[in-house]
Amino acid sequence: MLEGYLPLFVFLVLCIAFPLAALLVGKALRPSVFAPAKLESYECGIEAVGGARGRYSVRFYLVAILFVIFDVETVFLFPWAVRYKQLGWFGVAEALVFLGILVVGYVWAYKKGALEWV
Amino acid sequence: MTLEAFFFYAFTTLALGGATLAITRRSAVHAAISLMVSLLGVAGLYLLLNAEFLFVSQIILYIGGILLLFLFVIMLVNLDAGRGLRQFHQRWPLGAAVTAIAGVAFAILWSRAKLPPSQTMPDVGNVELVADTLLQDYLVPFEVVSLLLLVAVVGSVLLARKRA
Amino acid sequence: MTHLLPPEFFTATVPLNAYLILSAILFAIGACGFMFRKNIITIYMCIELMLNAVNLSFVTFSYQFGKVDGQIYSFFVMVVAAAEAAVGLAIILTIFRNRGTLQIDEIDTLKN
Repeated sequence: MLEGYLPLFVFLVLCIAFPLAALLVGKALRPSVFAPAKLESYECGIEAVGGARGRYSVRFYLVAILFVIFDVETVFLFPWAVRYKQLGWFGVAEALVFLGILVVGYVWAYKKGALEWV
Repeated sequence: MTLEAFFFYAFTTLALGGATLAITRRSAVHAAISLMVSLLGVAGLYLLLNAEFLFVSQIILYIGGILLLFLFVIMLVNLDAGRGLRQFHQRWPLGAAVTAIAGVAFAILWSRAKLPPSQTMPDVGNVELVADTLLQDYLVPFEVVSLLLLVAVVGSVLLARKRA
Repeated sequence: MTHLLPPEFFTATVPLNAYLILSAILFAIGACGFMFRKNIITIYMCIELMLNAVNLSFVTFSYQFGKVDGQIYSFFVMVVAAAEAAVGLAIILTIFRNRGTLQIDEIDTLKN
């Protein structure tokens, strides 16, 4: 049964090997000159202000929450989509009820302004 | 070693190593990344147990969803302020000993357990099986989950934007 | 190489008990972290670890019985964990906003 995953495994090995090889070859070929400016984070030429570990705005979190909830919804619809033909109208009704309840949440969040970037 | 055994031990190493690092790293970001490794190992074990649908949802929901939320919150609260604080309880050896005893006891129990020979799943594919069972036998839980998600949206949005 | 190891080494399959033992150990690690961590966020991560260990044994039993119900249970556990993470982490954020700390033993208003 595991033999079916062989392409996936080859893909994984290539994914790991390619960047490793690229990094190693690059390290072997390039001249190494140290300059402090090289260690700064890249900000389109503007000088960076503050550390990368500074606090983020809570708006990012709101978007992340909504993403996770609708992520769950998508995963729930996935088995229904696979068995769409066999389940027929019964499945459609189920999925519509499921989606309908979540749309209420979406509309509420929209009305509440959780999606606005003020 | 058979292919299955090889992958079992590889994924077990990932799961146990990640879990151990997750509870012992001082930095919360490091702990979250180690937890991600552990969850990946468990996802691989799901694959060995023929639970392909759970493998995918483990990666989409747990790693791509829940751990992402964790990382967001770690970045929202000030990491640097908590750096010097105590991360472990003073009496941690006690807790470690108690849980180690419990864990070893359960492990011995399970290693002695005689499981009846396993039955085979119907041969229609895992996602199809999950779909049929979820949408027919578990109809009411399926719909109730959407209510749960609705409550989660309302609750978390209300809590998170209380500042205004 | 072949003569160094017993022949069973090359043909042995993993018994299902091994999965259950792994699940028990993972649960113990999660419980251990739950007891000795001090930061609410990391404690919460340990809860996720324990949930995951339980999921693993659900899936193992599902494989054992040849029924898909165990997988559905662990799917529901995952979904509930996602909802719980959204609300729980929002609560943690609110605590941080009001108290300015995430150390578990400084949040003891109910105790006093």
